[in-house]
Amino acid sequence: MNRELLKNISFYTIILALQLLVFNHFKLFGFVTPFIYLIIFIHYKISYDKTLLLLLGFLIGFIVDLSMQTYGCHTFSTITICYLRRRIEKSSFGINANLPLAMLKGTPLSSRVSFFLSLIAIHSIIYYSFIFFNISLLSTIFLYAFINSIATFIIVWIISRLISNR
Amino acid sequence: MQSIINSIVKNRNLIIYLILSFITFSFLYNNSSLHYNELGKISTYLSATSSKFSSSINSYFNLKQENEKLIDENLQLKKMESNYRFTQIDEDTLNSVNSAKVIVNSINKSKNIIVIDKGKLDSINLEMGVISSKGVVGIVKNVTDNYASIISLLNTDLRLNAILKNSSTIGSVTWDGLNARILKLNDIPLSSSLKVGDTVVTGGMSFYFPKGIPIGKIVNYDNSSLEGYYEIDVEIFNDFSSLSNLYILSRTDNNEIQSLIDE
Repeated sequence: MNRELLKNISFYTIILALQLLVFNHFKLFGFVTPFIYLIIFIHYKISYDKTLLLLLGFLIGFIVDLSMQTYGCHTFSTITICYLRRRIEKSSFGINANLPLAMLKGTPLSSRVSFFLSLIAIHSIIYYSFIFFNISLLSTIFLYAFINSIATFIIVWIISRLISNR
Repeated sequence: MQSIINSIVKNRNLIIYLILSFITFSFLYNNSSLHYNELGKISTYLSATSSKFSSSINSYFNLKQENEKLIDENLQLKKMESNYRFTQIDEDTLNSVNSAKVIVNSINKSKNIIVIDKGKLDSINLEMGVISSKGVVGIVKNVTDNYASIISLLNTDLRLNAILKNSSTIGSVTWDGLNARILKLNDIPLSSSLKVGDTVVTGGMSFYFPKGIPIGKIVNYDNSSLEGYYEIDVEIFNDFSSLSNLYILSRTDNNEIQSLIDE
């Protein structure tokens, strides 16, 4: 148990460091910054405590907000996907939603893609809604959210494959 | 108590999510000027909308009071108007104007009567003139302590002194009992000039009404009478089917004039 905890903390720390030190400075087309820290909430085991997930989401979102000076936009988007994660799991994996590593193996590819994309897209839409915070910029919000979701999905998927292979 | 605790434990994720959201919004509101301004706008809009909503509900429930206030205001204006009209004759001629509400009204008989909710206790006396905001209505016929009946213009017994506003030719109006919108203007000689649309007002030569209160307008006339007088149809300004608030005029010099006539 202690070993698993240590392993998880190391994983979260590495991902967070990658986000803060590398991807925060990555500006594709001038605005696309992949949010690879979302992999933490995607890979959070289904059997783990959901309340802890919320608190973890708040902590990581807050750290990212501080580093990007976004004043809570990441925090709110992150705690929202953490809160909705159980529902997204059910809608994506169906009867396999109780498998501890459903997001990595043992489930259909389409379910995993759907799970990844749902979490990332919801996060991006909420994030950009708060960044622009203007209803008249709705099309811009969706455009940014769409492009950013694609970029984030590609990187998160690649990292997931690497972890899965190991 | 146990069920409350169970409910909190069951919904702990939702509660924690709401608390964390609140903390996040506070952080956002206090640190980002964009969100501070936009949330300020939303807050202003919400408070203004809710105030408007509650205000409209209050207004609805206060309609009766507002209506009474308007009637009082109207009454004051009527008094001022009457005083102004009588200033040239005698400042004290018109003693007061009272308002009253119609409680019984008819227009489908030949001798129509209106009953109002004011009587002797409200200083209403016999033979006072009654008007509405549009013009002459009738004359007080009977009075009890709390109620009074009025001979309406739509009563074949009533004959009222009237003049043409433009030419001051004197005549009298009566109702023939046929059409509730049309009166007959009598005693206007063929030598007078008139046209359709001329206004007919009270002549002032009676105890009941001062000069110049509107009655109606000419809609039709016949000058082929062999008796030397026009036969004139006058459309009444008042709609007698929808009377609600009336004003009762009181003149102080009625008794004095009557005593002179009696001598």
